Amino acid sequence: MKSAYIMQKEIRESILTPKGFLWYILTSIILSVLSYLFLTNSELSLLDQGEMLYLIMNFITALGVLIGLVFGADAFAGEMERGTLEALLISPVNKMEIALGKLGAALTNWGIILAISLPYLFVVGKRGQNLFIGIGYLAVLGTLLTIIFSAFSMGLSARIKSMKNSLIISFFLFLLVGSPIFLSTALRMTWFGKFLDLINPFADAINTFDSVVIDSQNFSYQAWRIAIICGYTLLSLWFLKRSVSKLEM
Amino acid sequence: MKRATVFLLMILLAIAVSYTSASAISRITVSINPPSIQANMGDKIIYAGTITNNSDKAADNVIAYISLANVTQGKESPMDLEDWSANKAIKVDTIPPHGTYEGKWPMRLIDSGSYVAYITAVDKNDNAPISSTLSHLEIQRVIRLNPNNVLPIALGEPILIGTVFLFISIKRRRKNK
Repeated sequence: MKSAYIMQKEIRESILTPKGFLWYILTSIILSVLSYLFLTNSELSLLDQGEMLYLIMNFITALGVLIGLVFGADAFAGEMERGTLEALLISPVNKMEIALGKLGAALTNWGIILAISLPYLFVVGKRGQNLFIGIGYLAVLGTLLTIIFSAFSMGLSARIKSMKNSLIISFFLFLLVGSPIFLSTALRMTWFGKFLDLINPFADAINTFDSVVIDSQNFSYQAWRIAIICGYTLLSLWFLKRSVSKLEM
Repeated sequence: MKRATVFLLMILLAIAVSYTSASAISRITVSINPPSIQANMGDKIIYAGTITNNSDKAADNVIAYISLANVTQGKESPMDLEDWSANKAIKVDTIPPHGTYEGKWPMRLIDSGSYVAYITAVDKNDNAPISSTLSHLEIQRVIRLNPNNVLPIALGEPILIGTVFLFISIKRRRKNK
């Protein structure tokens, strides 16, 4: 209940503000450009409908993870730099409830991004295969990835108490986990590429999208990847709990 | 003596004829179907290739692949088929003596122009790769300005969110006053 209060406060301060809305306008503009390019560019428009859907899903997931990292980095270090952390810590809400409230706000933000992206997914995936199941996987895995990266970034923010540093580390992490997007298929086929793909929750998510949307494979093919993502979710929540318990002014 | 010489000459002639015909007909022949296609950009087509083993021995581990060359004036070049989603190579484990193998090469037509497609088979026991005849492919350009009705969403959604943004900004400003 107290977490819900913190969550509402965060949503009011971070999401329902002109600044917060700018993110969503930018998100929709980027998705508009991408969708239009996919569907009208002479070469891109000839991609399979499933492939287009897969690429848009990757982009939405990356966007959700990125904004989740920013939310996380701001969670404690940002409060400290604004001088509001002390007031928050002396309020009758324990540290973990504060963390869960902030995590809830990050998840709400992901929910809004997903809602914004739905019309684009429907337009791009129209007449294509596995649209609804793809959206289902995007909702579930996107939520888990948002928890993983927001919780990790939040834990980091509580430990190093510097928004700049926690943002830089978080962005490095984003580049590392985003390697499947930046690396070519040939590089991903090397032993190191395969190893990175296996232990990387972001790669596990996009490989699941590939398997579901393009290859039409059923849940049994996805189970181990989802299990790895669930494992990371628990690990990141544990990291957040440990970091927050040590939080002091 | 004369008879024996004639008989010997006939035998030599028969050997020469059989040798010549054996070398003229390659161990493997390849054909491509259809011989010509006219289609639009974005269409999916399928080339069928037939590899025939003309010899009395089985042909093992034959590799067959399709190639595409752009023959549009000014754009002449071989094509990288990766974007065209074509299965480039097929390995045929064995083709029995005088048997055939039928392979299929589906392809998505990515760009307009004039092309030729041909299928090549490589048998390690032959000295040279064997290619089919050329199949002519004409691809017409297709321009789509509003596919899947994307424009209302692509233009409408940023405007809608922008309107909500303006509404919230104005409401906040009034509240602060």
